[in-house]
Amino acid sequence: MSAPTTATDAEADDGPLLDVRGLRTEFRTEGGPIVASNEVSFSLDRGETMGLVGESGAGKSVTARSLMRLIDSPGEITGGQVVFNGEDLLQKTEAEMRDIRGNRIAMIPQDPMSSLNPVMTVGEQITETIRRHQVVSKSEARRLAIESMDDVGIPDAEERIDDYPHEFSGGMRQRVLVAIGFSCEPDLIIADEPTTALDVTTQAKILDLLNEMQEREGTAVLMITHNLGVVAQTCDHVGVMYAGNLVETAELGDLFDRPRHPYTRALIDSIPEVDTDYDELPTLDGAMPDLGNLPSGCNFAPRCPHATEACRTGGDPSLDAVGDDSSRAACLHAADLDLSESTVPEAGTGRRDIDRSGQPLFEVRNLKKYFNAGEGVFGNVHLSWEGGGLPTVERRHVKAVDDVSFDVYPGETVGLVGESGCGKSTVARTALRLLEPTDGEVYFEGQPLHELGSSEIRSLRREMQMIFQDPQSSLNPRKTVGQIVGRAMEKHGIATGEEKRERVGGLLERVGLSRAAASKYPHEFSGGQQQRVAIAHALAVEPKLIVCDEPVSALDVSVQAQILNLLNEIQEDENISFLFISHNIGVIRHICDRVAVMYLGKIAEFGSIEQVFSPPFHPYTESLLSAVPHANPDRETDRILLEGSVPSPINPPSGCPFQTRCPKKIGDVCEQDLPELEAVDGGDHYISCHLSEEEMSQRDSFITPSKRAETSPADSD
Amino acid sequence: MSMYNYVFRRVGFMAVTLFFVTLIAFAVTNILPGDVALLILGPNATEQSLEALQTQLGLNRPLYVQYIDWVVGLLQGNMGESLRFGEPVAQLIAERLPRSMMLAVAATLVAVVLSVPLGVYAAVNQNEAPDVSASMFAFVGISMPIFLWGLVFILVFAVWLNLFPTGGYVSPSEDLVGSLTRLVLPAGAMGFALTAYIMRMTRSSMLEVLSEEYINLARAKGMSQRVIVLRHALKNAIIPVITVIAFQFSYAFGGVVVLEEVFFWPGIGRLTLTAIQSRDIPLIQGCILVVALIYMFSNFAADLLYAYFDPRIRYGGDD
Ligand SMILES: Nc1ncnc2c1ncn2[C@@H]1O[C@H](COP(=O)(O)OP(=O)(O)OP(=O)(O)O)[C@@H](O)[C@H]1O
Ligand code: SF4
Ligand code: SF4
Ligand SMILES: [Mg+2]
Repeated sequence: MSAPTTATDAEADDGPLLDVRGLRTEFRTEGGPIVASNEVSFSLDRGETMGLVGESGAGKSVTARSLMRLIDSPGEITGGQVVFNGEDLLQKTEAEMRDIRGNRIAMIPQDPMSSLNPVMTVGEQITETIRRHQVVSKSEARRLAIESMDDVGIPDAEERIDDYPHEFSGGMRQRVLVAIGFSCEPDLIIADEPTTALDVTTQAKILDLLNEMQEREGTAVLMITHNLGVVAQTCDHVGVMYAGNLVETAELGDLFDRPRHPYTRALIDSIPEVDTDYDELPTLDGAMPDLGNLPSGCNFAPRCPHATEACRTGGDPSLDAVGDDSSRAACLHAADLDLSESTVPEAGTGRRDIDRSGQPLFEVRNLKKYFNAGEGVFGNVHLSWEGGGLPTVERRHVKAVDDVSFDVYPGETVGLVGESGCGKSTVARTALRLLEPTDGEVYFEGQPLHELGSSEIRSLRREMQMIFQDPQSSLNPRKTVGQIVGRAMEKHGIATGEEKRERVGGLLERVGLSRAAASKYPHEFSGGQQQRVAIAHALAVEPKLIVCDEPVSALDVSVQAQILNLLNEIQEDENISFLFISHNIGVIRHICDRVAVMYLGKIAEFGSIEQVFSPPFHPYTESLLSAVPHANPDRETDRILLEGSVPSPINPPSGCPFQTRCPKKIGDVCEQDLPELEAVDGGDHYISCHLSEEEMSQRDSFITPSKRAETSPADSD
Repeated sequence: MSMYNYVFRRVGFMAVTLFFVTLIAFAVTNILPGDVALLILGPNATEQSLEALQTQLGLNRPLYVQYIDWVVGLLQGNMGESLRFGEPVAQLIAERLPRSMMLAVAATLVAVVLSVPLGVYAAVNQNEAPDVSASMFAFVGISMPIFLWGLVFILVFAVWLNLFPTGGYVSPSEDLVGSLTRLVLPAGAMGFALTAYIMRMTRSSMLEVLSEEYINLARAKGMSQRVIVLRHALKNAIIPVITVIAFQFSYAFGGVVVLEEVFFWPGIGRLTLTAIQSRDIPLIQGCILVVALIYMFSNFAADLLYAYFDPRIRYGGDD
């Protein structure tokens, strides 16, 4: 082993494992230097987990990479100390650092899809780390790699070690990354958003795994995340970053009970609670300032409800101890402010009443969409060489949407929720005839869309608009915002000339932008503002239905709430219907009237929010809801962890699609018979499961109103 | 999709392509201006003798009959007889093809050996002096047409420095050293001209790969720069480059046609030129067919290599 572990172990007994003092990392950019990590100081003991939270661009990743000295040009660490096991890492040579990386400090990256080398087997990628840092033979390294794959719960490690990354699911790849991280038994693991790219159910399993590994090995973890639910579930203490500064550090409980910095308070408040109805979702107004153009004084002052003149004129407040616990906050008024109470008004009007007596606006019946498996004309022709003799030819399909029915009434929001790949987006695209359906019927105001020709569809497009996850890709970068929105009006003959300009201006104000925005180009706006432009564009043609495909998934929590409020407001004013697609259960809970839970191309459960979030539950819905991490450290979690991963839609299981993972599976009947989507509790709540209503009702509601301190589930990812 | 499926499908597509190539080769030669019989017999030939010759050559039969006749012959391995040389086309081509191959392969080798390391080197030192000079070197290579490079190489290395002969061909089985010394200049000139493209492709592919997350992770695992570049990055970066190399090989084959003139290299290029000049229809058709086959096979080889290097294709990945 290249690093003298025994020596450093002894040394570290009388100090923290990691002591960061005044760390400063800058990037040289055309617009001048950007300080992404500004005088950051914190320490971390052995075996402890520290969370690092903050909005996107706050400097969390840069700070973490600085600890490992993995900052590339044009970035540079320009000051401070990173004392690890008693030695300052910033004084080490690059060769010495290489002996530490992966060995004493390891990294678990965010994206399991892109973090493994596609042309190397997972075995090679684990063993190379082991052989880099330990003097072991090839076969010994292989044995250790199999062992570590076993440890992280990869079944059949011995067979799978020679597989390539693409042969593993996202969750399994993340396990491989965890195995690589722990393979040399490091003292510190830096996990940068280790579960952000994963579905809730997979996320819960990976977090459990991390906890378990950490306890077994006594490893310290620095957990970077923007999800306070994840923090509440995993961390011992927390650091909050804002605009390159560490603005608060506190023990986990103190942070949630008695935040000392107004930003922390705002961050906690901006998470929608599942058991509360709001008139408006709580928001954190404004956006984090551009790091290249920071305000003088406290960086948070422009958004801070407690800001005073002193805050705006002084320098950066320093991170000082506050109160009698171990909290530290970088706020001039930290000592005087009492931030222990949430600022969000709890009162709410609850749900709107939707009139469902008339004709639905939009109706989907038995919709199917099969894709050819593989590319090209003959892409799905599959030769099977099994059984010897001549190969047999078969055509294979991905059954992305398989017999889906639901309806949307005027003024209503219907949600589609489910894990990635379950077919949510395909439902929307097929229903709008952006894709040709394989089978099924779609009605818009009673007109059969599935029978209309393309020109008739085109004129109906005006009534049905779409908003996407990535606003940038749907806005023409060479046109001004005014041209983009105005063009839609002209195309459908709504307004021209002066009237058009007037309307565009009004619309932009309507979505919370200024009239002047009309002459700017999309790239001049932030992600949240671009999404506002996309909404204005959709509204320009006065549609009756807007399909929103993950419209807030790419946005920060604070911006997310602003956009959701805007959508709600518009709906109230214009009586527009929304079909709202999201994998985020907290968001679905607050924006939708009814929701369809999808699994493997089929609807597992459909009903109002109250019905779906309360018993009886489809077993899949139950595990999905239970896996949402709650931003409340005191809350008891009773999560149902699903075994295995979602089966391939090319070859779906027989009988109930969920039977391969269902914790409540009855037996043969689930394997043989596809359960019908049947009405339960006597009405408009539908579940597709063979269980009796009673058996599906063994858990309490996820939204029973109760005291906030006891239950505050949320999903802020 | 398994590798079998993949190969199976590709071979299917090649058969279809080949069919179109025969159609085109046939069509092109039949709409070329100039009467073959007239060309053979000269301007003083009589009406009758012209007609007799046309009948003898089968030129006055309907086109589709001539086409089917030709294809059936091809399937039997009979490419017809050259009008100009009076020898079987297959034999003429078989004699010259290996010489052209030798030139094209050598040129591609030169290009790869020069460009891949240069591209890697340039990418690793992005925007620094080594990068700029490597790019300049490559840029000089494509700044002139191949045949001009041929002339420059002859001038510099043969005439001024007197290191190599100015041209000609010697069979390697007769005189290996003589053969190789004559190969150096044409292969070098063409390889140099091909370097730029492969080098730029290697460089940009490397740059893209070097910014991938898995490279970041490799660094976080403590891997050295050398291991990262050679083991993690190059193996990924080379995949798209292989296609370019195969494409450049086809291109080299096109370049051979011109370069063979410059270096008096009796390969398929010069054969094609002669065939066209003398309206030797069977020979033209044969040459087109063979060159097209080589194009197709080098691209097929590229795809197989691509699949071999990229496990996602090899095993039919989901992405
Ligand atoms: N290579 C770079 N060149 C210039 N600026 C950079 C570079 N890398 C990061 N930055 C800047 O550093 C700041 C902090 O970025 P960082 O990635 O640490 O944010 P983060 O808190 O991890 O955000 P996220 O939640 O989106 O991951 C940002 O303003 C970013 O633009
Ligand atoms: S220093 Fe002032 S502006 Fe900054 S967080 Fe504290 S009260 Fe708000
Ligand atoms: S039908 Fe059976 S397998 Fe499917 S969800 Fe119900 S109990 Fe589970
Ligand atoms: Mg980050």
